[in-house]
Amino acid sequence: MNTASFPDRARVDARDKVLGATVYPGDVPVARILHAMTVPSRIAKGTLTALDTSAAMRVPGVVRVLTPDDFPSPAPVSEDGPPPPPPTLEWRIAYRGQPIALVVAETLEAAIEGAEAVRPSYAPEPFAALIDSEDSERDPGEDVVFGNAEVALSSAATTVEATYVSPTQHHNPIELLVTTAVWEDGRLTIYECTQSSAGTRGATARALRLDPAIVDVKSAYIGGGFGQKGGIGQRQTALVAQAAMLLGRPVKIVMPRGQIFHLATYRPHSRHHVRLGADANGKMTAAVYDAEQEQSRHGFFPCAEYHESTCRLYGIENYRGTAADIRIDRQPPGWMRAPHPQAACFAFESAVDELAHKLGRDPVTLRLANDSRIDHRTGNPYSSRFVNECLEEGARRFGWSRRTPEPGSMTASDGTQIGWGVACGAYPSMMVPAIATLRIGADGSTRYAVSGHEMGQGIRTAIAAVLLEGLEIDPDRLEIVIGDTTAAPQHITAGSWGTAGAIPATAKAVARMREAMRELLAGREIAGNLHRQLSTVRRPFLQIEVSEVGPGQGPEALQALRRGAYAVAGPEYPNFTTMSYIAHFVEVHIEPRTRRVRVPRVVSIADCGRVISPRTAASQVRGGVVWALSAALREATEIDPRYGGYLNNDLADYVVAVNADIREIDVGFIDRPDPLANSTGLKGLGEVAMVGASPAIANAIFHATGKRLRELPIRIEHLL
Amino acid sequence: MRPFSYIRPTTAEEAVNAFADAEAGARFIAGGTTLYDLMKLNIERPTHLIDVTAIGGLATIDTSGDRLRFGALAPMSAVAADPVVAGDYPVLAEALWKAASQQLRNMATVGGNLLQRTRCMYFRNGVDGVYPCNKREPGSGCAAIGGLDRGQAVLGASGSCNAVSPGDWPVALTAMDASVEIVGPAGQRRVPIAELYRLPGDTPHIEFSLAPGELITVIEVPRETLEAGTARGSTYHKIRDRESYAFALASAAVVLEIEDDQVIRARIALGGVATRPWRATEAEAVLAGQRLTPERAIEAGRAAFRTAQPGRHNRFKLELGARTVADALLIAAERSRS
Ligand SMILES: Cc1cc2nc3c(=O)[nH]c(=O)nc-3n(C[C@H](O)[C@H](O)[C@H](O)COP(=O)(O)OP(=O)(O)OC[C@H]3O[C@@H](n4cnc5c(N)ncnc54)[C@H](O)[C@@H]3O)c2cc1C
Repeated sequence: MNTASFPDRARVDARDKVLGATVYPGDVPVARILHAMTVPSRIAKGTLTALDTSAAMRVPGVVRVLTPDDFPSPAPVSEDGPPPPPPTLEWRIAYRGQPIALVVAETLEAAIEGAEAVRPSYAPEPFAALIDSEDSERDPGEDVVFGNAEVALSSAATTVEATYVSPTQHHNPIELLVTTAVWEDGRLTIYECTQSSAGTRGATARALRLDPAIVDVKSAYIGGGFGQKGGIGQRQTALVAQAAMLLGRPVKIVMPRGQIFHLATYRPHSRHHVRLGADANGKMTAAVYDAEQEQSRHGFFPCAEYHESTCRLYGIENYRGTAADIRIDRQPPGWMRAPHPQAACFAFESAVDELAHKLGRDPVTLRLANDSRIDHRTGNPYSSRFVNECLEEGARRFGWSRRTPEPGSMTASDGTQIGWGVACGAYPSMMVPAIATLRIGADGSTRYAVSGHEMGQGIRTAIAAVLLEGLEIDPDRLEIVIGDTTAAPQHITAGSWGTAGAIPATAKAVARMREAMRELLAGREIAGNLHRQLSTVRRPFLQIEVSEVGPGQGPEALQALRRGAYAVAGPEYPNFTTMSYIAHFVEVHIEPRTRRVRVPRVVSIADCGRVISPRTAASQVRGGVVWALSAALREATEIDPRYGGYLNNDLADYVVAVNADIREIDVGFIDRPDPLANSTGLKGLGEVAMVGASPAIANAIFHATGKRLRELPIRIEHLL
Repeated sequence: MRPFSYIRPTTAEEAVNAFADAEAGARFIAGGTTLYDLMKLNIERPTHLIDVTAIGGLATIDTSGDRLRFGALAPMSAVAADPVVAGDYPVLAEALWKAASQQLRNMATVGGNLLQRTRCMYFRNGVDGVYPCNKREPGSGCAAIGGLDRGQAVLGASGSCNAVSPGDWPVALTAMDASVEIVGPAGQRRVPIAELYRLPGDTPHIEFSLAPGELITVIEVPRETLEAGTARGSTYHKIRDRESYAFALASAAVVLEIEDDQVIRARIALGGVATRPWRATEAEAVLAGQRLTPERAIEAGRAAFRTAQPGRHNRFKLELGARTVADALLIAAERSRS
């Protein structure tokens, strides 16, 4: 394996983005377009008994109002098949804000006015809006058990036990959910900001009973994904697709943010009861961890995954994890950056800090002493694991040795309480298959098509880095086509596997292309870049295709990719486990009187194997830390159980961190290749970046104040 | 989206006449940052918009006389950046630049700012009858009382409404004893800022003591009542859920006059905690003639909340508010020394 470090390189699309020239799905110009607006349900549960659309139809410009009668009945769900697509329009109401009608009009204004004029009648039913509501239903998930945690805990020298709580939090990327559907010559083309163009194709085809072969989906750029735009498809897609087919004209919808709060996925409220045991030397011997989360009545965001990272953060040999869904009447929760580990590691890493305090051990030293070469869940070794290196490098950069351990001991002369906290994160490093086509032209052009979606994380930049490192081509005429089902088979880009999906295939394409050039030139020495060489030998272009699968995957993975199915390998590979790691060091300042919490500096050191694109990788980590700060100190969705729905459903009232909240974030990488996970030695980064930074903040607050806060977000009132 | 007519008169008289000519449902519009927002939320449903931004002479900032005069149409950002305001009246400048965002402050006018409406989440949501709100639908009830009331008022609430008066600038103006000049169908009049705002009582939908069609033309801030003619010993201290771009959880406008370490006069007004800009006379009384120590500052802060009535989730505002007042007093004292 080539293990050389990649040089720093600017984002390939930075200039276009700054100029506003980047064409997001909502910017794709489409002629004769109609505008659509959904009508949200006012009740939280029950039946829609009638829909009076006559007033809406009288609004000038309104061309049609789609109701549940305009849609096929739901697709049958098979046990082992893919999860069902999002419902279309239905007479049954499962949550407040569920779309009950779609108004299509010549202008956006008419569509909005028409949507307001639709008169629904309801038969409401009692509903449960929160996990403590009366009608909530407990639905246990699978346990994660290895060793004998109860026994080990009972013989532990020191134990800690506490419950930690994370709130409902909502995605708020600046780009709203946007879909344009075009029905032309028997083909349906969908322009949508989706992290899963093939998933959107499959879900739409199943919802509308279409042959997926007639559906194309294009998602060239996404203005923030983070899981909201992945998952199992967006609820508005099939609605506008149906409208486009019924009306024979392109239809576009831009979902208003208030409605997005009510129908898109979100991070569920969750509670985590953690018990940890350690022996006299501070070796953690047992963890018993019970997680529960709010869940919709039929949602499948898997609760057992709260254990995926926590059971592998340390070398704990006895682990017992349980998980449960608490089913209520809201829309399904889903994957939101660092989906489970955000809340799980907040709980677990707070508990580890409590343990360190109880043991009188430095929290870094305690963690260093609990490393492991073995994944005790499977008994297999880790392919690479540099979490201790992250801790050591972080401690060095942060100046951790100057920390005085006693809570409150670092108070400044003006009364400002200063606290230093640490926490780690881990996240599965997964891989997906890819099929890529590379074509280099004598005219100076290069076109590379592969699976992947660009949501700002920098996948294009990473791909370009590998192509430009390995091939002498014109960077200005390099076209990287991703997120397009017509260009290459597409896999959902999520779970930090985007780079692991695209980059090994790209490295292979580079090698194959070099080989093909060698064959073509047959020993001739020709000056100039590859375009010149092709032109000299009078070849208009050279094209190669390669495919790549994850460890343990075979041709069936490529078939699954071609079908648009889910084909993820890892983190448990046949003979090893691969995880990414990070250590966050945080300084907090707490005002003496009004108790505002400031975070003047953070040091975050990540082990994501080999770093392919240093600039976008560092940016990923900074973004993860920013969101973790926001999740720890700012964000919570307000739900009044009497009414259901979300009260603070806009950017003014759903308080995300702003620039003024963010100070210095120093990012570093171990940058050592993983020898087994894939041919390029990389591991996932986007998710792990966020994991652990929230508990590091909470731990720092404990160090500053002596106050252990176990519920997020931590706000002024908790520190007064 | 509802149809409305739109005109843009060039004199105050025309604007007032146009308002009188229109049936109910007329609204003046200045920067539009409140009104358009509420129209999009379907809370304001005007049928006639009278855009006042083309009226001449109403965007002037005049700091030369005995009274600072701010034309109602002056943008928030322009007043905040005015050298005299920024240098001699930090309480005014801070109340403006700590509000909203620069983009909004460029659009928003200091007159429109006085009449912005509450950020109560129940008020802003559920026009379709999901959340009852006496402000939005008089007589429908109040979901915030007994509901998610973390942000709600602890001072001045009634049994029908506990919505916070959201603005920062009106709080600073209250501390500064400002007044507004108004022209309306019945001619011209001047209203002290303290009288512009009403307590919710049984009629929380009536927020301002302005008659229909009355146009605010000028905001006047007296300087002759200040010993030094300036308010350098002043501050607007704003505590919020993030460092910028958020409404106050608690704020305090403080104007201090100190001589030989003794408080001659303290003017204190509170924001974020009350149903109207709240003059804290009890707190002022604690300080008069006293030396300002940190202990006395917090004592004054506590006095301001003696009559406060918390709900389920906003009890912390009593303590936070008191401490905000204390910090504001200490900041203002520091400034009056330098
Ligand atoms: C996201 C957001 C955040 C904000 N944050 C803050 C904050 O932190 N602190 C804060 O104080 N404010 C904040 N604001 C409110 C903002 O300051 C006000 O919207 C703005 O000052 C209103 O001024 P305008 O000129 O845009 O008013 P408009 O929207 O034009 O008018 C507001 C009201 O005043 C009436 N009106 C306007 N001018 C006159 C006049 N001359 N005479 C009589 N009636 C008139 C209108 O009829 C309307 O009812 C925020 C607003 C937004 C949208």
